[in-house]
Amino acid sequence: MKPTKTDRTEPDRTERIEMEIERILATEDELVPSSGFLTSVMESVRQEAALPPPIPFPWKWAAPGILLATGVFGWGCFELVHLGLPAVSAIPDAPLHLSATVERSLEATEWVAVALGASLLSWLLSRRLAGRSGLF
Amino acid sequence: MQPGGRASSPTARRVPDLTANAKGAIEDLADVERVLAGDAQAFEGIVRRWQGPLVNMAWRYCRDRGRAEDLAQEAFLRAWRGLANWRRESSFSTWLFALAANVFRSELKRFPTVNLPLDAAPEPSRPAVQHNALAEQLSHEAVRRAVLALPLRYREPVVLYYFYEMDVAAAAATMRLPEGTVKARLSRARALLRRRFPHLEAEYAAMEFTALTIGKEASN
Repeated sequence: MKPTKTDRTEPDRTERIEMEIERILATEDELVPSSGFLTSVMESVRQEAALPPPIPFPWKWAAPGILLATGVFGWGCFELVHLGLPAVSAIPDAPLHLSATVERSLEATEWVAVALGASLLSWLLSRRLAGRSGLF
Repeated sequence: MQPGGRASSPTARRVPDLTANAKGAIEDLADVERVLAGDAQAFEGIVRRWQGPLVNMAWRYCRDRGRAEDLAQEAFLRAWRGLANWRRESSFSTWLFALAANVFRSELKRFPTVNLPLDAAPEPSRPAVQHNALAEQLSHEAVRRAVLALPLRYREPVVLYYFYEMDVAAAAATMRLPEGTVKARLSRARALLRRRFPHLEAEYAAMEFTALTIGKEASN
């Protein structure tokens, strides 16, 4: 197919515009930092250097709490499965009138869920506090 | 990019001064060792050598002189805090520029510069017809400001590519992206700018005409 006039001129035009953009962006004057810049940076650095080092996370004190929370969480999971599954499997048999055993199981499950939630919250809170100390 | 601030001169591709670069690298390493050994004052040498490039790099990200210095200062502080993280696998400058680019990117995301959308960026008013230096200067500034109106994924490759004097590899290393990706983004950015400034063709023609006239006059 014979190229039309537009076909022949269009790449040329595109190329020219791009070359001009290239020329403009490549020929930028350089800034010289202001006279106080170096002093200002070094002042900030000296201030940082003078700060006491961040307080390390008190692992020694936190470890028992973390272990306890992990234990509670694990126990909670176990209880949830242990009590929750029979309760769930019993529901289809008596959808409207729950037996006393199932009701007790469900109530226990709710408490386990609350305990799990509390453990999760305390873990999130301790992680957040540790994050502020620069550990995470 | 070589260390040290330069007086304003167009940054047309410079011949790299390998001796100065090698000397600068040795000095950087020595200063880093001293800082890590507890001599905070040794950081001054690093700031002295790299303040020019870092301020210029920040300027290209925001085109606001005051903010550029603030951003560069923040980058130096982060470098100071994280000096122990430089693993010597890459040159100090590569590490510093990558860190600075991260700082500039995140700071400008938190507090963006007021940018017009690309379509609203002012178009130069036919400087080829007006033929005066001021019009050309304004037109060039419009193009440079339009770069800031590009979406971030296209803006950063353009900023770094021209900051590194058209070195794709250096720009890619700073952004930690493959060279191919940077090239593709550069191409897309050029296409966006080209569509925004169709009249630049006339300016280019005028420039060529001027160069020809000067050439003829010189030969006569």
